Amino acid sequence: MSVLVIERLVGGYASADHIVKGVSMTADAGEMVAIIGPNGAGKSTALKLATGLLRASAGKVSVAGVDVTGASPQAVLAAGLVLVPQERNVFAALSIEENLAMGCYTTPGQVRQRREAVYARLPLLAERRRSLGRMLSGGQRQLLAMGIALMAEPRVLALDEPTAGLSPKAASELFGSIRGLAGDGVAIIMVEQNAIEALDVCDRGYVLVDGQVVREGAASAIVADEDIRRLFLGGRKGHGQAGPAPQSSPVPAGMPAASSIATSTATASTPSQQERQP
Amino acid sequence: MLSSIVQALLNGLVSGTILAVPAIGFTAIFAVLRYPNFAIGSLATIGAYAGWYANVRLGWPLEASFALAFLGAGIAAVSAEWLAVRPLEKSGALMMAICSLAVGIVLENMVRFGFGNDPRGFNVPLMRDIRFGDLRISPQQVENFAVALVLMALLWAALNFTRMGRAMRATADNPDLARLKGVEPATVAAITVVVGGGLAGVGGMLVALDTAADPLTGFRLILSVFAAAVLGGLGSIPGAVVGALLIGMVEELTVLLLAPNYRTAIGFVVILIVLTIRPSGLFGEKSG
Repeated sequence: MSVLVIERLVGGYASADHIVKGVSMTADAGEMVAIIGPNGAGKSTALKLATGLLRASAGKVSVAGVDVTGASPQAVLAAGLVLVPQERNVFAALSIEENLAMGCYTTPGQVRQRREAVYARLPLLAERRRSLGRMLSGGQRQLLAMGIALMAEPRVLALDEPTAGLSPKAASELFGSIRGLAGDGVAIIMVEQNAIEALDVCDRGYVLVDGQVVREGAASAIVADEDIRRLFLGGRKGHGQAGPAPQSSPVPAGMPAASSIATSTATASTPSQQERQP
Repeated sequence: MLSSIVQALLNGLVSGTILAVPAIGFTAIFAVLRYPNFAIGSLATIGAYAGWYANVRLGWPLEASFALAFLGAGIAAVSAEWLAVRPLEKSGALMMAICSLAVGIVLENMVRFGFGNDPRGFNVPLMRDIRFGDLRISPQQVENFAVALVLMALLWAALNFTRMGRAMRATADNPDLARLKGVEPATVAAITVVVGGGLAGVGGMLVALDTAADPLTGFRLILSVFAAAVLGGLGSIPGAVVGALLIGMVEELTVLLLAPNYRTAIGFVVILIVLTIRPSGLFGEKSG
């Protein structure tokens, strides 16, 4: 049984503003799921709707069988779905130790025990426990953001572009840490611009275009799909096989007509793609 | 001349420490609620009168009178916040700031209505100044200085070692993330306003102890409080303390050169200079 079930979710930043148009997704315990797609497809918005930061106008979200549709972020957190935002995801003015304590603010009696568990998993945080959030590098901040999320002992971890702004090495290490979490049974649902890298480490993937899921399936199948690769992965076949991104491409049958797809292809996987191109 | 300068610096240290108390209240409210609450001056007046009422009318000792000053101003602050300012939240920080000015005028006139315009002195014994060579300081100044220091130490401990204190700092730093972690914004806001207003109240009583309580006690304070907070960096508590000490000393040093009437201009000059050269203040985060 899936620990996270999102059914026909609709919503956006305003009640009449439907950025997400009927998205359905699932994630099983221990499974890593990637959400990829061009900029503006509604990937991050879908996570915000699911975690209660934005109010959905239709659809249903349940976590481990608990209906959290329209619930407050606090209630969603209590159900076990924890969001790690893309930006401003740590408390810059608080120390690492205090940041972690804020991660289980609603269960203060558990702070000491859970903090030690997080330190054991992410030793770098233990080494710098007195450092302020603002003193950390980009990669260290992302680790801290994950540590804060882990303090709530989540069933589902929703990561919004965790590798944004990180070097390839830091991104690779972060993906390794995330993989370790999934190995412990946490369901991971991850929005990523580094599409190839994300699909490499994930079990399944969803491709979002214009607020709708246009393709879903095993991550390996998505990477192997010619149309997806041409449209969203810059024509690359995998590591070290990068090719130039097409300037225009026909939309495959079954996908919604999204005029921005062709021009946004490059941005869908831009950072790593540019770094790897000869 | 040298002894005059040292005496002015000593006076400035004492007055700056006292000024730091309401300045911390002002900057704490700004940090969490993101608007400058200009009612802080009238809240200081309410604190001064609450303390005076406890001390003179009820015969309470000063320690208990400080507690009533804190509570009276804190309750007035949160009541004004809920009744007048909060309903304008969606209109933005500017409207809330303007509303707080209006609230300040209403509160000041309520005090006038209740207690009249006459200055009210506290029931404290007259004592000789303590002398160190050419330097003099009154025992009441020493006591006020100590009270301000103790209050700041208590606040520091509360902010750093309690769950609610940490939640207040987290909310001031990153309100969205704090909400995601289960912090209830309304509770944190209410506690911040009570504490901020309460500190203003104690600050008002400290000033009134040195002189007397009158309906303009807080009004005379507000410009220096605002200047201290701007100089330190709006939203920064250490900044408010440093800013208040600097303002206190500069105000006292100015008296050596200019007529005392010009002392109130110092706040304006400091605000002008800071906003021109370093708008984020000494300890504030640069925006953008």
